[in-house]
Amino acid sequence: MTDIIMLALIIVCFALAMTYAAFCDQLLAPGTTRDATP
Amino acid sequence: MTITGWLQIGLFAAVIGLLTRPLGGYLTRVYADERTFLQPLLGPIEKELCSLARIDPSLEQSWYRYALSFLVFHAVGIIALYALLRLQSAFPLNPQDMSEVSPDLALNTAVSFVTNTSWQSYGGESTLSYLSQMAGITVQSFLSVAAGMTVAVAFIRGFARRRAATIGNFWVDLTRGTLYVLLPICVVVALFLVAEGVPQTLAGSAEVTTLEGTVQAIARGPVASQEVIKLLSGDGGGFFNANSAHPFENPTPLTNFVELVLIFVLGAALTNCFGRMVGSERQGWVLLGVMAILFGLGVGGVYVSESGGNPALATVSVAQAQTQQPSRAGGNMEGKEVRFGIAGSALFADVSTASSDGAVNAMHDSFLPLSGGILLANMMVDEVIIGAPGSGLFGMLLFCIVAVFLAGLMIGRTPEYVGKKIGTTEIKMTILALLAVPAATLGLTAIACIVEPGLAGLGNAGPHGYSEMLYAYTSAAATNGSAFAGLSTNSPFYNLTLALGMFVGRFLVIVPVLAVAGSLAAQPIIPRSNGTLPTDRALFVAFLLGVIVIVGGLTYLPALALGPIVEHFQILSGTLY
Repeated sequence: MTDIIMLALIIVCFALAMTYAAFCDQLLAPGTTRDATP
Repeated sequence: MTITGWLQIGLFAAVIGLLTRPLGGYLTRVYADERTFLQPLLGPIEKELCSLARIDPSLEQSWYRYALSFLVFHAVGIIALYALLRLQSAFPLNPQDMSEVSPDLALNTAVSFVTNTSWQSYGGESTLSYLSQMAGITVQSFLSVAAGMTVAVAFIRGFARRRAATIGNFWVDLTRGTLYVLLPICVVVALFLVAEGVPQTLAGSAEVTTLEGTVQAIARGPVASQEVIKLLSGDGGGFFNANSAHPFENPTPLTNFVELVLIFVLGAALTNCFGRMVGSERQGWVLLGVMAILFGLGVGGVYVSESGGNPALATVSVAQAQTQQPSRAGGNMEGKEVRFGIAGSALFADVSTASSDGAVNAMHDSFLPLSGGILLANMMVDEVIIGAPGSGLFGMLLFCIVAVFLAGLMIGRTPEYVGKKIGTTEIKMTILALLAVPAATLGLTAIACIVEPGLAGLGNAGPHGYSEMLYAYTSAAATNGSAFAGLSTNSPFYNLTLALGMFVGRFLVIVPVLAVAGSLAAQPIIPRSNGTLPTDRALFVAFLLGVIVIVGGLTYLPALALGPIVEHFQILSGTLY
């Protein structure tokens, strides 16, 4: 049982990391980049 | 302090400086898929491996695909290592009949080695079978650093390419780094270590009769093959609990020196690789120069502090003056090996924490508070002082982006770095990457300070106990892996929270780093103009140093003040912990 919980933890963490990557990809979508200076 | 001590430090710096350029050139050829002298030998193996894995080397990936490949590769690695540790008692190559590793420790160890951290809540010789050490720990040491180097190379390609939609192929970079860089060095140096007395055997512990007539089991195993990659990879996870302080891992001052060189050499060479790939080696030397200054300050500080001895002992007339005689080494020799002395221990501790390696040849818990503070600070600046191969370079490049951004704000111009415009997206991603480690470090330390399972692990009271906690989470989140010792971390609370710190420190940094790489690769290269801030001059070195110190200082100074700084002043007033 503990092993299943640990494996589920690993999978959830990586699913979150992949979602994070998708979020970053959205931020990089064309049209979202502007100059950093005022 | 002694002249030989300073010479040892100077010689080490000189050797790293000499190796940087040739190895940097070699790395550039490897990752540019150019012919190297090992091509005739390893080329067919590479071809076969790509064919087996159905990888088309000519097919490149966008940053997003590259990141997904990176994440999937690590997820599979963690699950495989977890399973191996949990089932080790059922597998062969277990002469000491080690039982399976507990679930929380297995998770911590799997995350630790797959993320190139090598935090060890266990003693290797009393917990792991030879199969776990070889097929689990050692294999992941190779793969985790090869993966870290791929990220650095992808980041460099972001700067070097113009209007490109791709940043390379993760699987090809991973294969080439492992095959052409890591394996050849490891084979050669492992043979050297065996010649120096490091064991390499599958036999179980040796049973010997001591002079007192009792029988003692002396642990041994396939140490040399693990030792080399442990150091070269910036991994640092030892075969033995005592790590490089153990005479079977690091038997002589010569092996100590070679191990130090191994820790730094790839990270230093990658700065040269960066310079070459962006078309200006000076850019690489600037980065190495900044790293060298920070390293010099750190190692000098630790050496001076440890040589001076413990101020609390001065009041009871203990002779602490340093001499050349091993029997009267002087200084603060607590927790240090006589065969390495103060200089060899101070140098190793500073190199290990600056580089993300985490190997130790002395007990960091026994270092004086100011030395411990320097070791903490090395890790807190995101380990950009050489760092692990790969992560040190991209960490430093993140600070370069912040530096040119701040300079752009000061003079009112669009920030540029090596011909690439730094826009809002790059800044957002950079800040996300730079904030992940402090958020994990400080947040998890704060939680450990107030909950019962966290406090239960403490071995010391007061600021020293707090430093032990802070060190553990800093080491985990910065993917260093060294331990201050004194904190009992083999408990479900510490195993799980430290694993979380390592996860955040690896993946929540690397994902935005690859995003920046993708964003930069898509841009054209802007020609240098009168308005361009020169980033290959001494002025930029000073500016970059200031940014690193201020960003690191502002983030962590309060945390350091509560630990090593207050402990230093308490020692001066005679209070020890």
